[in-house]
Amino acid sequence: MSAIAEAIDAGTLPGRVWMYADYHCNLACTYCLTESAPGVSKRLLDPDEMIRIAREAAELGYRDIGITGGEPFLLRHLPETLAAVSEYLPTLVLTNGTLFNETRLAELAPLARLPVALQISLDSPDPDVNDEMRGPDNFATVIDAIPRLRDLGITVRIATTGEPDRLDEDDHARLCALHRELGVPDEDHIVRPIVRRGRAADVGLGQDFAPEQIPAELCISVDGAFWSPFGPTVRGGELDTDLLISRTTAPLSRPANLLLRLIQGRLPGDAAAIGIR
Amino acid sequence: MNSMRVVDAAAPATSPLVALMTPATAPLLTRGAFADGQPDPITAVLAQVPELFDVALPFIGATLGPSFVPLRAKEIVILRTSALLECEYCVGAHTVVATDAGLGHDEVRALRAELDWVAVFTDNAERALIGWIDAIALGRGRVDESIATAMTDHWDDPAVVEITVLIGTTMMLNRLCTGLGLPPGADTLERLSTDGFSA
Repeated sequence: MSAIAEAIDAGTLPGRVWMYADYHCNLACTYCLTESAPGVSKRLLDPDEMIRIAREAAELGYRDIGITGGEPFLLRHLPETLAAVSEYLPTLVLTNGTLFNETRLAELAPLARLPVALQISLDSPDPDVNDEMRGPDNFATVIDAIPRLRDLGITVRIATTGEPDRLDEDDHARLCALHRELGVPDEDHIVRPIVRRGRAADVGLGQDFAPEQIPAELCISVDGAFWSPFGPTVRGGELDTDLLISRTTAPLSRPANLLLRLIQGRLPGDAAAIGIR
Repeated sequence: MNSMRVVDAAAPATSPLVALMTPATAPLLTRGAFADGQPDPITAVLAQVPELFDVALPFIGATLGPSFVPLRAKEIVILRTSALLECEYCVGAHTVVATDAGLGHDEVRALRAELDWVAVFTDNAERALIGWIDAIALGRGRVDESIATAMTDHWDDPAVVEITVLIGTTMMLNRLCTGLGLPPGADTLERLSTDGFSA
């Protein structure tokens, strides 16, 4: 058993590996960590690379894969890639849920038989509040897509992202009633805070977090390996590097072992004392 | 023989070819080196590639730092090699370090190729050392037998190995600093000026 697998078994290392499939998006949400929007640099992760990461993650003892972006479903190859990735590990895809027309739904149908789940963002039970952050007609589009995906047999989760003061108890109760009505059980609804990085930092939204407050879920983007999916964020068009672990992502064991070392508290410090002049 | 430019500590520094990492942008594996603020430019550029930084910096530290080879000899190696490779950054920095290590003004100038080193260095072990440095840093192919023999006559095997690795490591740093255009620090320039050295 690898040291990675042992650490996952012991609960000291999270069992999920994330991938940033892309950075472009058909939306431009106010709190987006990656400044994603239609015109930004795509920063694409090659599909063969995604499959390689999944294979090596399984070999190392990781338990599941998360795929995010950008909007991953802007990539035409995604259904096929998801089928290949999920051969190795159960896969969760984060999506804004706005691109599921009849053609796309037909492409997704085979995924119903595979360990693939979609996590769709829905930030408020009120269309106007949701759409203020996520764009015009987002609420209606998402509400339409979720039952259609579920009818195909695809597992759908809902993620609610927001400021604590924007989702009071009543809002939360109405949101939960809504997701239940859409067929999404409570265990598949997550509520998460806005992290103050990327566009959220520009507009003063969200909370600051130290690395140790963020789960150390290995995250691979085209730019390297990061401490978490909150790592490879973009601000002012520049990649944030403060949570970068390594530029090298192949073999996956290399960043995985560096991350494990960081978790185990062996942060380097001696390097500062060597006194290069 | 002084062909180097005169120090102008007020002159604007040239911009490096790549970005220097800062305490705000330093990747996780490199953070220890940024804990007390902005580190030296070599550290700051190596932090661009944390997995390389992770192994390179301890190696550089072990090679250039205190060891069984006397500090004076190590500074002769670093300064001489840097002068041969015309690394402005390293010559400046190690003119200061060599002076602090006890080398005299003329010795430092000789290592910088501003004086005839044969006239300045009279100790046979140090003469053998400088001959070895020149042969390794500038030469191609096999080292002349008389130079190699002089070296092994005065330095034991572990010292020959470490000194040779030190020459190579210094050459790597020389080319890194020169290629990436790392500017000498203002404090180095000021110190050189105070001590009467050119940059």
